[in-house]
Amino acid sequence: MSETTDMASRPGREASSERGKALANLIFNAALAALFVGLFAQAGDLPSSMWEPLGAGSFPRLILGALVIFNLAIMVQSALALRQADPATRVGAGRWFVQRRLAFATLAAFCVYALLMPWIGFALASLLFLLAVQVILGARRGRRLLIACLVAAVFGLGLYALFSHVFLISLPAGRLW
Amino acid sequence: MPMTDALLSSVEQLFSLATLASMMIGVMAGVVAAAIPGFTITMAIVLTLPVTFTMPPLQGVATMLAVYVGGGSGGLISAALLGIPGTPSAVATTFDAYPMARKGEPGRALALGIWASFFGALVSAVVLIVAAPPLAMIAVKLGPWEYFSLILFAVTVVASLVGKSILKGLMMSLLGLFIATVGQDPMMGVPRFTFGVDVLAAGVPFLVVLIGIFAVSQLASEVENPAALQRGESLVRGDMHFRPFTVMREVLSRPGNLLRSSLLGVVIGAVPGAGGSIANLIAYDQAKRASKTPERFGTGIADGVVASESGNSATAGGGLIPMIALGIPGSAVDAVLMAALMVQGVSVGPRLIMDSADLVYGMFLAMFLAAGMVLAFCLISMRWFLRITEIPKSIIVPVVLVCCAVGALALNNRITDLYLLVGVGLVGYLLAKLDYPLAPLVLGVILGPIAETNLRRALMADENWTLFFTRPISAALLLLAVLSVAFTVRRLLQQRAIART
Repeated sequence: MSETTDMASRPGREASSERGKALANLIFNAALAALFVGLFAQAGDLPSSMWEPLGAGSFPRLILGALVIFNLAIMVQSALALRQADPATRVGAGRWFVQRRLAFATLAAFCVYALLMPWIGFALASLLFLLAVQVILGARRGRRLLIACLVAAVFGLGLYALFSHVFLISLPAGRLW
Repeated sequence: MPMTDALLSSVEQLFSLATLASMMIGVMAGVVAAAIPGFTITMAIVLTLPVTFTMPPLQGVATMLAVYVGGGSGGLISAALLGIPGTPSAVATTFDAYPMARKGEPGRALALGIWASFFGALVSAVVLIVAAPPLAMIAVKLGPWEYFSLILFAVTVVASLVGKSILKGLMMSLLGLFIATVGQDPMMGVPRFTFGVDVLAAGVPFLVVLIGIFAVSQLASEVENPAALQRGESLVRGDMHFRPFTVMREVLSRPGNLLRSSLLGVVIGAVPGAGGSIANLIAYDQAKRASKTPERFGTGIADGVVASESGNSATAGGGLIPMIALGIPGSAVDAVLMAALMVQGVSVGPRLIMDSADLVYGMFLAMFLAAGMVLAFCLISMRWFLRITEIPKSIIVPVVLVCCAVGALALNNRITDLYLLVGVGLVGYLLAKLDYPLAPLVLGVILGPIAETNLRRALMADENWTLFFTRPISAALLLLAVLSVAFTVRRLLQQRAIART
């Protein structure tokens, strides 16, 4: 749903996205196919069983084999789409990332949050994460910043307290202290 | 356990103060969450999961069902008042509820939707009670051949239903099945594809995949458009007077529409992969076709609201049918419910009704109870709902992400699950941007171990693999799987031909 509204709301701006998508699909599936072929070979070393005709490796090999076939089929499809697309238009990979900068910034913050958590603990990490993402998403000054600070404090500390005291599920306390 | 004993035992568990209280909170949380644009019902259920770990099984599942049923009604609120569907299940609700609200009858639009949801949920609960036990009786007799074929069928149906490309859908299903093989082999316990990495040693827990795909990736898509983040004002001013009983009569005076839309919702809900997001559109479409005045649809008429809302609410009960009878979740939400039961140590499959009858009857009753609670809660508090839809995404997104982290950690208390969550979220986001449908992937991860175990059991029992094609039920299921792909290919080719001309 969100994608259709998305596409409807900005026509034209991504005129070259067909070409970009075809190229991205081609590269992505080629990489996956290579990975799956490697895994297929590796699965051959998994032990077979005395009790059953299929060992540990057969089912994964079945799946991996089928996956490679699908990767190749998608690659053919994408290559055809790439040939049909106007070669004069640019792929626009840079602009694609810039347009989605907020999404990537949010995901990057989530990554840093996960890496920090074992060190500084759930409560503090959550507080910093909540504040950082709200600032990234536009709560820069005035009342919105104040609300952002409040939300960070309430949910960062509140969730920690709720889970460790009410639901008795312990969240990381932090290795540094 | 005899049926009456099971029923009494479930009543006793369900009508305890703790369960009623947690269900009521669940209903409120579901309604509120689904009313916030960008916050889906699936996210709400995923986030409820860690909270239920410490509860007894029935209380936990009843609470999650309450969130589910509440969510079914919550999407209506932003659909009617803002014209933005709060969840994908409420898309068709915007067609008539929003025009009605703009014409100065927001109270009537909401009340119509709430009553229609209530009756839709009731119908689906009745069908569930009638259909699930006999289906389970049949399912228990299925051998590993039939089970394996059933899973193949489920996986191909999902791949055919979602997304624009069946190749991508099937590839995602297979990728899901592959991801499920990482970690210990289900029969021999041999580690597979772990490469000595700690994160992978225990396999990829499907709950983490579920949260990563349906919450983290989804949330990232929500914050893409910087301009939209500033929005959030309500467009409807008008009287918010409710005449609940007049409107109830208005809904009940359309029994044909109500019953047709609800039954459509149940059937669509029971098909794996299809859910409320499809049911509301089909129910609306069918109501329009059956109507004597189809041209008035879209102008703010009651029939449109009733069709969409009863259709999407009825999928809740429909989705539970395959889960309870076969151990195959009908939708992402059912997958989470199934996960919740598994975490509690309840084995989900065709024997569920026999082994834990009290739990299953409790779930049936909880559906009814939740529908009633939603109705009461919505009718009392509808006036304040406008405020909820005004919460900006810049607050919702980070808060829900933190809740996702809690969900991943609460499962096994392993920090590596959190790293996995971040990875799955990022990969899921990129896949979604390249038009790869994510639901087949998740279903593949969930069904992978069941598929593998049944395939290997089948060949252990008899090395003759042609049995998959000669046993009638298995052959029929495989044929259905092939047909579902064939029909989708035909449909896509037709669409492409139309697009060209």
